[in-house]
Amino acid sequence: MALTTTPDRTRRDSGSVRPASSGGGTGRIRHSEGLAGYVFLSPWLIGLMAITAIPMLLSLYLSFTNYDILTPWSEVQWVGFENYRRMFADDPSFWHAVQVTLKFALIAVPLKLAAALGVALLLNKAWRGVGLFRGLFYLPSLLGGSVALAIVWVNMFNRDGAFNSFLGLFGITGKPWVNDPDWALETLMVLAIWQFGAPMVIFLAGLKQVPTELYEAASVDGAGRFRQFRAVTLPMLSPVIFFNLVLETINGFQGFTAAFVLSNGTGGPVDSTLMYTLNLYIKGFTDLEMGYASAMAWVFLLAIALITVVFFSTGRFWVHYSDGEK
Amino acid sequence: MHPATPSTADATTARHHRTQLPRRRLLRGIAAVAVAMPLMFGAAACGGDEPASTDPNAPVKLSIFWWGGEARAKLTEEALALYTKKHPNVTFEKTWQANQGYFDKLATLTAGGNPPDIFQIDDNFLTEYAARNTTLDLTFYKDNGKLDVSKFPKSLWQYGVVDGKLAGVAAGENTQGLVYNKTLLQRSGLPEPTTGMSWEEHIAWAEQVSKKTKVPGTMDPSADYKAFWVWLRQQGKDLYKGRELGFTVEDVTRWFELWKGARDRGATPTADVIHEGNATDITKQLVVTGKAATSWVWANQLPELKKNTKDELGVVAYPGDPSAQWARASMYFSVFKGSKHKEVAVDVLNFLLNDPEAAKILGTDRGLPANLDIRKLVSDDVTDPAMKTSIAVETELAQKFGESPQVPLKGHSKVRAELIKAAEEAQYGRTTPAKAAEQFLAACKAAIG
Repeated sequence: MALTTTPDRTRRDSGSVRPASSGGGTGRIRHSEGLAGYVFLSPWLIGLMAITAIPMLLSLYLSFTNYDILTPWSEVQWVGFENYRRMFADDPSFWHAVQVTLKFALIAVPLKLAAALGVALLLNKAWRGVGLFRGLFYLPSLLGGSVALAIVWVNMFNRDGAFNSFLGLFGITGKPWVNDPDWALETLMVLAIWQFGAPMVIFLAGLKQVPTELYEAASVDGAGRFRQFRAVTLPMLSPVIFFNLVLETINGFQGFTAAFVLSNGTGGPVDSTLMYTLNLYIKGFTDLEMGYASAMAWVFLLAIALITVVFFSTGRFWVHYSDGEK
Repeated sequence: MHPATPSTADATTARHHRTQLPRRRLLRGIAAVAVAMPLMFGAAACGGDEPASTDPNAPVKLSIFWWGGEARAKLTEEALALYTKKHPNVTFEKTWQANQGYFDKLATLTAGGNPPDIFQIDDNFLTEYAARNTTLDLTFYKDNGKLDVSKFPKSLWQYGVVDGKLAGVAAGENTQGLVYNKTLLQRSGLPEPTTGMSWEEHIAWAEQVSKKTKVPGTMDPSADYKAFWVWLRQQGKDLYKGRELGFTVEDVTRWFELWKGARDRGATPTADVIHEGNATDITKQLVVTGKAATSWVWANQLPELKKNTKDELGVVAYPGDPSAQWARASMYFSVFKGSKHKEVAVDVLNFLLNDPEAAKILGTDRGLPANLDIRKLVSDDVTDPAMKTSIAVETELAQKFGESPQVPLKGHSKVRAELIKAAEEAQYGRTTPAKAAEQFLAACKAAIG
């Protein structure tokens, strides 16, 4: 996937992608300069091939074998579609992990985007000290998928963690969140949502792009705040929302670190945090079924590609590119 | 991932009406990185291996990989330095890390065709590696005396034999141990548990402890394969028999029901706390976090546990007849089959296990020394009280040990994981012991099938 599209994309980058850049006519690079660019890029492209593309192709091959890491390559056996068959027909943990991942993505992603947009709207005002708040809200994202953060989270949401002590102030007895199979995944969702800084910053950048004339015109026409938000902000922001949605969905599906840390790499308690990627990791490295894990990786890649295609094809109906309307 | 990002990113950035200048600067930057990268790879590629040689004094560099904490690293490095002192041509490339992730790394190194010459391994994975011919068969060296196991208990070195091949040599001996909080019991005037208590007595005792001290009497070990294993052996069963499971679904049901009873009587903590205890991390064992009065561990872990608590700890055998326990190799050293320096690697193992000086340095960190003469030597020297207790109890139990079982089958680590899953389903009350047992058995069959 990445193999075939990336060089292709790069080429189109310098020309025109959408009416956006050709209409503007400013970002054009002269042909010879473009060529020089590729010459300079070639070492990187070769690196991409060696580090990404070739291993990916190998994993495609492995997905049709019983490769188990320890057996030498020469003894690896071709098993055809057996791995794929087993995945869909014979492996309850696969479907369980799919469910866990879908649940995680479907709940955490929209909430994260909503939080990001909400806070971005607040921080878009010209308050005193707003810069400080922008920094503070962005901070959790800088910590990213860090292991340290996940460890802190586990300790905060323990039975005797900080969160329950806080609840205790109001006389509420909390749950053992991270150790309760009914709440462990939700705790991970909260962690993901809390790290809304990255989409927030992108939203902020998008909000700054909305021409103030539009709001002035709208308010002259008697539009209230909510109406302005719905009729001006949202459509003008839709490309940014689209961008964030695609990116965060993909991130959401790939969630691994926090689940790994919380469950000591097991997906527990009782498989409640068995995300797809974690299951894949366990299959590959603990159960030593690397052929099967490779097949899982390819199914995952195709699923994400499919979801992205769906986003792009539906995007036509709700994403407005202002330049295109000129 | 790739198809999604570039075009939307363009759509957004295009509206920024960028000038050419920053882009050109960007290109220049990329070009610089692109030129630098191959140089770096080129430099990295220069550090190759030295070729194998027949000259006994030719320099040899052996890689060695183990898991453990800093204390173990220090001792091991010291012992290896001693070897280098005696054989100046042999140097070591030492790598160590925590147990979590160790086997992932070992598998990856093996897959990359770059496994360490010597590696530490345990009975959870020995068969996985031996069955795939990753480990050198040490029988030849044992027979010609290059690897001396004559002072080892027979059952101990035999616990390294997989399919007739000596896949690993025991680096130490341990056995199941029930570690309890002495201080807590004494404070409430409660009796200490003893070796030979029945399971029923143990649970009744734990119930008493819970009532009097408000600390749950015992960790619920139903998810713990080593407790289940001892219990099975007391029923005349085993974890594995040949290539099959050594137990039936009824056995598992009875095991799960035994502990459901204990939970219902309040002898154990609640399910979420049990779940914490199910993590193998030694610092999270409930007896040291104060969330239970007993933990089900290995007897040689007592000194390590002691480091995490101020309370006095004691250790006895698991409940029931102690002859169900055996001299288990706490871990092994194995040599990679494709190692270029097999002879030297074996000699290093022989040194670590049989040389009095080296053994004194290593102490009981990896379990009781496998060589009985050395064990005597080391135990006489020990000053740490927790270590003393641990050695005394293990030595006493050694008189009562039964036959060693066979080394667990390929797929054992999966079986362990599935036991935790099934037991926790029952502990959280999401299913009945009988259903959990069925689920476990089905998963086991898939794992070892």
